[in-house]
Amino acid sequence: MAPAHRDPRIPAPASGKPWRNAALVGACLVLAALPVLLGASNYLLGLLISALILSGIALAWALLGNLGGMVSFGHAAFFGVGAYASALISARLGVPVLLAIPLAGLCAALSALAMLPTLRLSGPYFALAILAYAQIFRILATEATGLTGGGAGLQRFPGLPTILGLDLGSRTGSYGLLVAMVALSALAYEAIRRSHVGTALRAIAHSEDATRVVGVNSVLLKAWMLLLSAFMTGVFGALNAHIIGFLEPAYAFSGLWSVMPIIAAIFGGYRTVLGPIGGAIVIYLFDQLVAKDLIAVGHQILLGLVLVVMVLIAPNGLLGLLKRRAGGRPHADA
Amino acid sequence: MLRKAVAATAMTLALVGGALVASLPARAEEVLVGAHMPLTGSLGRSGQAFEAGMRTAIKIFNDASPRTKIRLQVIDDESTPAAAVSAVEKLVSEKAVAVIGGYGSNIIGPASDAASKLGTVYITAGAVSDELTARGLKTFFRINNNAGYQRGMAGLVESVKPAAVSIIASTKEAPILLARGLEKDLSAKGIRVTVHAFDPAITDFKPLINKVKLQDRSEILIMSAYENDYVGIIRAAKVLKPPLKLVLGAWSLATPKMYQEFPDLMNNVVGTSFLPFPVEMKDQEGRRFAEVFKQLYNKDIEYLATLSFVETTILAEAIGRAAEAGTLSTGGLAEEMRRTDRKTLIGPVRFDATGDNPLFSLSMGQHQDGKVVLVAPPAAATGSLAYPALPW
Repeated sequence: MAPAHRDPRIPAPASGKPWRNAALVGACLVLAALPVLLGASNYLLGLLISALILSGIALAWALLGNLGGMVSFGHAAFFGVGAYASALISARLGVPVLLAIPLAGLCAALSALAMLPTLRLSGPYFALAILAYAQIFRILATEATGLTGGGAGLQRFPGLPTILGLDLGSRTGSYGLLVAMVALSALAYEAIRRSHVGTALRAIAHSEDATRVVGVNSVLLKAWMLLLSAFMTGVFGALNAHIIGFLEPAYAFSGLWSVMPIIAAIFGGYRTVLGPIGGAIVIYLFDQLVAKDLIAVGHQILLGLVLVVMVLIAPNGLLGLLKRRAGGRPHADA
Repeated sequence: MLRKAVAATAMTLALVGGALVASLPARAEEVLVGAHMPLTGSLGRSGQAFEAGMRTAIKIFNDASPRTKIRLQVIDDESTPAAAVSAVEKLVSEKAVAVIGGYGSNIIGPASDAASKLGTVYITAGAVSDELTARGLKTFFRINNNAGYQRGMAGLVESVKPAAVSIIASTKEAPILLARGLEKDLSAKGIRVTVHAFDPAITDFKPLINKVKLQDRSEILIMSAYENDYVGIIRAAKVLKPPLKLVLGAWSLATPKMYQEFPDLMNNVVGTSFLPFPVEMKDQEGRRFAEVFKQLYNKDIEYLATLSFVETTILAEAIGRAAEAGTLSTGGLAEEMRRTDRKTLIGPVRFDATGDNPLFSLSMGQHQDGKVVLVAPPAAATGSLAYPALPW
């Protein structure tokens, strides 16, 4: 009997080869350490930092999309709330930056509570509702002049500190911190994916009605995914704020923070853990190092073309394509 | 024997060659100056105008400088802070001795921070926030500031003694700062001021103009915004016809380009300006700028190009002095920048300890039938203000 064609949303069995996963993690860590070991310039490290920030948001977006089954066009809201919260908590309350960052993540998660009613919606209705929320937060940041500085923005807030002699504000320090944060986020994502909760969530994504029939509280699980995704995005927003050193509503809540992670996650393969990370790094570096060199003004055209080709030849993303080339399964792990 | 002859010939050739090389004029030293500008997106037009002014200044400097030649490399920062910071880091890694900044304090802030960390001089004419100079960076310089725009506009408004003024201001950083500053200045003079802030995404200004018409009943409408907003505001005012006596704006308004593109909206509108149009250059530097600009771009000089011409000229001159003194590679450029004290096309420029130019002040120009007439301050005026006078 021919094997049944597996739906990508159906839970994948846990890998039976732990050594293979360990080797993959080791290879990723070596890859992450390479730029520092090879003495990469500040310029290259700066690009990698931006790519890692994008990776973090892409991962958070994919977590909501893959496990929660919700397509969000409003992650800019969590990113902006996290950025402003961390800047304000550290500048106004004098809280150390490394503590302000997770607190900012919590603030982003709290802001997501306002979006809980949208969990009753699905598909394009949810996407549109969350997009509207992002706009509301941007307007609030503009109007709350006393708190956020309004359109004039915030500039004087602390940067990343020096810990145990390592200046996290330096390019090398920021890069190391971001690698660690992206790795932590990926581990959290993987842990949830492998847990019973992950199995239930993937089942919800496949058929929410059927899952409810067997007693799974789908709304509660989706709400947790929304809060976790918001927390992760808020943390990366906070990190970006302390690295860039300037905030204004148009930047912190820019639509780019909603759109680019989607592109990155789909490019890399949003049903995998490593796909969004790889996708963000590849598309950002391709855009800045290759496309910008070839077409200095309007290089985004090249990026757009690459994305179109990629979606046409590999709908499961870069990771799916690599697996297919390596003779692996036709679909990436859900 | 043959070997000796070959050796003697080689030595002779080497000596003659060496003498010839020594007698040639010393090769000019090429210095890289970097710049990041928004060359695409909504601010692309502004970035391109800045670039034109920079390239004109570099050409004039290179033509006049036998020893130091400057090569300019401009990177599109796409109006995003991360891209601007990357541009600065890339330019410095390619040995740029200085970076000319882009447009907007949100971009200039992080980019100049990055330049400061790399010990590289950074100059801008595109950011007016006071926060930038409050940081006390030793390598940061700018030629214009909010106070200069405020002085120019407030001076003109006070001269016509209105009872009430309405300010329509974009919530973006520079416009809202200017609006708040004007509100404070004019209120202190006993003028009733109402500020209407609007989101930059707004394109229909009729509701705001209705407030000006029905609630404020002001004599003067001040627009603190950007080109597209000016057009939208004046268009809405032309439809609703509030009982105004003058329409006044900030940057990039009193330019020939605006009149050429929107002749039905611009007549009698007033904006900040450095030069009248048709351009009347009173000094040698201005005439040379206009001539080379025309030669390179086949058009008349404009507002933003003038600003970037001035900042680039000041930087190029400081580079020339530092190169002459042999301190260019040892941090002498920032010192040479601080020694700047000269008259320019936008007035005197001198940097204080924070890198700001406290002498910055602007004239006000009025569109009068295709010409831009300088109407204030009296010392710079080339004509008189048409008042009351409206575009409709």
